[in-house]
Amino acid sequence: MKLPPGTRDWLPAELRRKRAVESELLAVFERWNYAEVQTPCFERFDALEAGLGDDVASRLFLFADKTGTQIALRPEMTTPVARLVATRMRDATLPLRLSYVAAAYRYEDPQEGRMREMTQAGLELIGAESLDADAESLFTAIEALDALGLGDTLFDINHAAIVDGVLAGLELDEEAIGHAKTLISGRNIVELRSALRGTGDPAAIDAIVELALTRGREDVLATARRLCHTDAGLAGVERLRDVLARARELGHGERINVDFSLLRDISYYTGFIFEGFASEVGFALCGGGRYDSLLPRFGFHSGAVGWSLFVERILIALERRHSTRFGAAPAIDVLVSGSDLIAARERAAGRIVRIDFDRRGEEELLDEARAQHIPRVVIAQDGSVREFAVTW
Amino acid sequence: MVKRDPARLTIALPKGALYEESARVLRAAGIDVPDDPGRKLTVDTSDGSRVLFLRPTDVPAYVEFGAADCGIVGADVLWETERSVCELADLGFGACRLVVAARRKDRYHEGAQLPTFLRIATKFEKSAEAFFAERDLPVQIVKLHGSVELSPLVGLADMIVDLVATGTTLREHDLVVVSEIGASTARFVVNPVRFRAKYAAITALLARLREPLGV
Repeated sequence: MKLPPGTRDWLPAELRRKRAVESELLAVFERWNYAEVQTPCFERFDALEAGLGDDVASRLFLFADKTGTQIALRPEMTTPVARLVATRMRDATLPLRLSYVAAAYRYEDPQEGRMREMTQAGLELIGAESLDADAESLFTAIEALDALGLGDTLFDINHAAIVDGVLAGLELDEEAIGHAKTLISGRNIVELRSALRGTGDPAAIDAIVELALTRGREDVLATARRLCHTDAGLAGVERLRDVLARARELGHGERINVDFSLLRDISYYTGFIFEGFASEVGFALCGGGRYDSLLPRFGFHSGAVGWSLFVERILIALERRHSTRFGAAPAIDVLVSGSDLIAARERAAGRIVRIDFDRRGEEELLDEARAQHIPRVVIAQDGSVREFAVTW
Repeated sequence: MVKRDPARLTIALPKGALYEESARVLRAAGIDVPDDPGRKLTVDTSDGSRVLFLRPTDVPAYVEFGAADCGIVGADVLWETERSVCELADLGFGACRLVVAARRKDRYHEGAQLPTFLRIATKFEKSAEAFFAERDLPVQIVKLHGSVELSPLVGLADMIVDLVATGTTLREHDLVVVSEIGASTARFVVNPVRFRAKYAAITALLARLREPLGV
């Protein structure tokens, strides 16, 4: 029997590691006062489509229930959480801080770090449109990766309005703008240059192409400011400057770069965006940003910012670093033979107990304890109880 | 394996037709690549870079999976492999065209009626498929590994999709171009994550490669 492509099993050691990573993340989220929520694995297709736009919607696992209603497996958690907030939590006090660890499903070409079933951990900060909220989204992500022992992860930041403000200087229709953004995001400089040819002043086009290659600290903001033709874009540049200043105060200045080609592939982002990378993994470890237009699509007029992290990519990065930080097998405290009652008392005292089924002899039990590093053995036999301390 | 300075680049180069020019532009950029890799698989250059000598069609995979940070490869190979790498510069050399060609006497190039179901022989399966699908033409693609120009002459295929540099091979077999799919040149490609992780080294190399191109 084979698994469907893009799925996998988790054996005990693998799952232990994954769970340990997930609980570390939930602990970070809790320290920032985020409360965990859960939504169904599958949702009505129209709800997901409202949030996601065509690109992701085309990669959904889609089916119909018995009434013919179109159902899809959720491809991410931001849209389901937005739906949840707009329905059952619409009277909650804002800002709302919600977190999740959840499986998500996308019809991808399976490869390492890009499976059809994946685990996302993340958070959503709803009802806050300020710099504070953007900064909090970035800092929670940095702290989460630090807590996982990935303290050298690089973060790239950008603002979705900047590219629009820059492209506004050229003669492009909506379709051409979409195409140009795809090329900028994939950093396909060769095709970008030819797609923009003839749409404006050649020097302006050159400058835009160069901007797609530009990445750096605060100094690169001046270039964007010069090329930007909209107030929203200019406000975006200022927002980045402010986020960088806040990050520097926390000592994160060296890890954060502005990258104007960072445009995330989900259409709902409207403002500040970021991704985190480690050089061992070919895809972003985490990413997110501001999505002020998503909640209004569900009739809830509020801005929000959030991010998610790909748990399996974290596990790949930890494995490549030979990290032993997570998922050590729990040590067995005691091996008990011949008494359910003694075993129950040991468990009640919070110890991990292995029970011997075969009433084996003392020598055999002590050998097992030495081999498996179990420090105590208790043997109940013929009404007497003997206890042994084991060393190895 | 010896631990290398993480700022140093691993560069994938295609053996074969693009090698000589690739080596020349890298040398001009200060990386002393040998004239001829011979039987070597890799070379560590004096500036600290490592160069991998690969089959051209393997370059995109090495770069996408980060076994190399960047590389040089023909655009035709990129069309065919659909790997996600960033194309940072058109290096200009290695010009050739991917074309649809047929026998002169079939007169398809002059608009003669096509058979209802075309059989296309090619090494460039994906590019050919995409080209005909876009035109809603029902075709059967026959994947070949060499001597594609023979196939229309012996009735294996109605047309071929193949690379043309000078056109000599087509002429020798009395084939003519029916349609051009794309014009290819050598490209400087980079792994998207390494572009960020090794930004300084990669943009410095990019600037030196672009200097003689005047772009």
